[in-house]
Amino acid sequence: MLVYADLPMSEVVEEHPSLIPVINRFGIRLGLGDKTVEEICADYGLDTDFLLAVVNTFLNEEFFPEKKLQTFHTSQIVEYLIKTNQDYFRYQLPNIERHLTSFIHRSTPGNQTLVLIGKFFSTFKDELVARMENDDKEWFPYCLALSEKLKDQKIGINTHPRETAEDALEELLADLKRIMVKHLSGEYDVNLCYAVIFSINSLERDIKQHNRIRYRILAPMVEAMEKIQV
Amino acid sequence: MRRTKHIGIISNDTLQSTGLQSLLVDYFAPVEIGYYTAFDCFTQANVDFDYYFTQAETFILNADFFLPRRTKTVVLSDKLPVPDGCSCRMSGKLLSNGCNIINACSTQEAIIEQLQHIFSAETASANGEKNKELSTREIDVLQLIVQGHTNKDIADRLNISLNTVLSHRKNITSKLGIKTTSGLTFYALMNGLVSSDLIS
Repeated sequence: MLVYADLPMSEVVEEHPSLIPVINRFGIRLGLGDKTVEEICADYGLDTDFLLAVVNTFLNEEFFPEKKLQTFHTSQIVEYLIKTNQDYFRYQLPNIERHLTSFIHRSTPGNQTLVLIGKFFSTFKDELVARMENDDKEWFPYCLALSEKLKDQKIGINTHPRETAEDALEELLADLKRIMVKHLSGEYDVNLCYAVIFSINSLERDIKQHNRIRYRILAPMVEAMEKIQV
Repeated sequence: MRRTKHIGIISNDTLQSTGLQSLLVDYFAPVEIGYYTAFDCFTQANVDFDYYFTQAETFILNADFFLPRRTKTVVLSDKLPVPDGCSCRMSGKLLSNGCNIINACSTQEAIIEQLQHIFSAETASANGEKNKELSTREIDVLQLIVQGHTNKDIADRLNISLNTVLSHRKNITSKLGIKTTSGLTFYALMNGLVSSDLIS
C-alpha cells in the first residue's frame, strides 16, 4: 500500500504501527488527530515528499524510487540516516539487550545455548556501533562537506542498476534469528524468547531500509560528486 | 528461503489470467509471472518458466512444446467439471496423459487446493535430495573456519585444493542456512564440534 499526502496520518499509523519509530525520527509525535500527512508535515516544517518517500520505501519492500530519492538534498538523506543511527543506539539496541538479558536470566541457569546467543548479539552490536562511529566521524561529515563545496553545481547521477551489496550487519541479524528459530535447545522462557526475536526482527527490517538508502542513494550521490571534483 | 516460482500464463482470456495471477500472488508467493495473450508472443519472448498455465486449445495446438513439459503444465478449462474416472473428452488422450487440469468454474477453495497439490510435488522432491547433515569433511572444514583459519590455510592443513575448501564452505552454508562466521561459531560450539578455548 502506498501512502499519499492527503491521507489522514492517524489512519496510516493505525494500520502500520511499525511506522511509529520512523515518524518519531522526523520529530513527529503521536496525538495526530485528524490531520493529513501533508498538514502534519507543514506543522513540523518537514518536506512532505521526502517523508512520503521514506515512509513508502519502509512499508513496501518492492518499492524503491531511486530517481526520486536522488533528487533530495544530500543533507536530507544524511540527516535521516543519522537519525536512524541514533534510534538504533538509544532505543533499539538497548531494547533488544533488555529483553535478551532477562531472557538469559529467567531461563534455566546454565543453559549454554542462551549464553552463546548473548555473545553472538554482542558481536553484532560491536559491529553496528563501529559502523555508526565511523559514520559520525568520517563518512557523514565527508558527504556533507562534499555537497556543500559543490552546492552550485548540477550533478548527474549515474543510475546503473547496482548489485545489492551483501551487508555484514544484515547477515548477522538474519543468522541470529535463524539460529534461535532452528537451533535453540534446553529449557527457556518462551515469552521472553518471542520478545527477543520480535525486537531483532524490527531492527533487521529497519537496517535493511537504512542500507538501501545508504548503498543505493547516498553512495551513488557521493560517487557522482567525487567525479565532478576530480 | 523458498525459491521464487517462475510462472508463464499463456491465455487470451484476460479476466481468467488476471484472476489466476492474483491467486498465485496472494497464496503462493514468491512468484514471478510472465503473461502472454498467445503462444506466438510467448515463443518470441523466448523465456523458460518453472510452470505453464494455458488453455486446452493452445496445449493441443502446441503439443510439441507442452507434452514434454506436461508435469509442469496446467491446463485451464472452462468446461463444467467432469465426473471422476472419465477423462476430459474433448482433449482425449493428450490431456489424460499426466498433466494437470484446473477447472475455471470450480470454487476458489478447490482451485487453491489443486494448485497447492501441483506445487507441493515439486517442493517434496527438492527437499528429498538435500541431506542436511554435515559430512565428516565438512565438519573438519567448519572446525578450522571457526578457529579463524583462512581458506588457504584450511586447504594446506587438510591437503585439499582451495576450490574444494570453497565448495565445502558453500555446502556448509546451504545445509545450515548460516552465513556469518559468528553464526557458524555458535553452531559449532552448540554441537560440541569445537571447545570454547580454541576460539580466540
